[in-house]
Amino acid sequence: MDVTFDTVYKNPEEIFPGHTINFEKATWFDPWAIGLACLKGIEFKDQADKQLILPKNADMLMYLKRMHFNKILMEFTYNSFLGPLHALEIQEHDNENVCEILHCEFRDALEAQLSSKIRRMFRHFGLNELDEARATALVGELGNNVFDHNDGQWPSSVRGAIILAQHNPNKHRIEIVVADPGIGFSGSLRAVNKSIPTDEAAIELGMSGVTGRVGEPRGNGLKVIQDWTINKFDGIVRIHSGAGLVVVDGNGQKAQSVFSIVGTLASFVVKYKQ
Amino acid sequence: MTVQMSKFNTVLNGRPVAREAALRIQQIVNGTAKTEDVVLDFAGVEVLSPSYADELLTVLRTKYGNEKVKIVNTTQAVSETFEAVETHS
Repeated sequence: MDVTFDTVYKNPEEIFPGHTINFEKATWFDPWAIGLACLKGIEFKDQADKQLILPKNADMLMYLKRMHFNKILMEFTYNSFLGPLHALEIQEHDNENVCEILHCEFRDALEAQLSSKIRRMFRHFGLNELDEARATALVGELGNNVFDHNDGQWPSSVRGAIILAQHNPNKHRIEIVVADPGIGFSGSLRAVNKSIPTDEAAIELGMSGVTGRVGEPRGNGLKVIQDWTINKFDGIVRIHSGAGLVVVDGNGQKAQSVFSIVGTLASFVVKYKQ
Repeated sequence: MTVQMSKFNTVLNGRPVAREAALRIQQIVNGTAKTEDVVLDFAGVEVLSPSYADELLTVLRTKYGNEKVKIVNTTQAVSETFEAVETHS
């Protein structure tokens, strides 16, 4: 069973039943699904009946290891479920097309990762100098939003930006995901408008440039992310926040109601030329 | 007065960092803005995020006026960030 953006919304109860993350039947992952699992892991972390079921498929287990999924799930107190992942050995130089999950708890950590690991990752994935600078700026912008809209209001003890990336060299495609267990678009925009009807409406409002930082001249970051992703990378922007999902690409914007998550998951997909 | 932006960092990201840089630039410029432009030299800056660019320009233009603040020596990526900020503001 593929566990990816294209499948996870069709059968969420199979992958996230109760307080369980069930990857048992997974035969394929994408970083979006792993980002969702990180947020679900945070949501369930204090539940006595929480469970993580790892994939039976050895390749998928290896993928999770290459993502350093065990390290971040350890942070969220899932250690008793992670034995098979801890036991796996990998050579980091074989880790060519995935980025280990980076958990930047504070803004300073984001700044440090942007200047080092994230730039190296894009260069290693094969982006030219110009595209690497653009993509790094977009990661910075998504990461900035995490702290700009959540500092002082984190709903739980877990805070910060969780960054994942994967490169598909055959399709010349890179997906970057930034997840945060924060207050979400609705929580942030409540300061502006208390009657936003749905989470997808809140996301659409945020993407149009309305900001929850009342009285401050800002709100252009998400517009630039959409502009560059679509017009410079022929890519896709996806945002899932609360129970809303919005996808924007060259064909327009689509919004729908989906299962609820804590916080926000945002990604941009880069299609690059060689 | 010319300020070398790469002395702050070669990756410039985020509003809080930009606000601090703008404060620092005001210290560096000191009284010279009465007779000279405030020239921001981006030679060596490789990555500029839109929020940094927006915050830096907003603070400095409010302080010195639009005409006084000049931007020079930008890479294509840095120029695109300034263009995007102007387009989407």
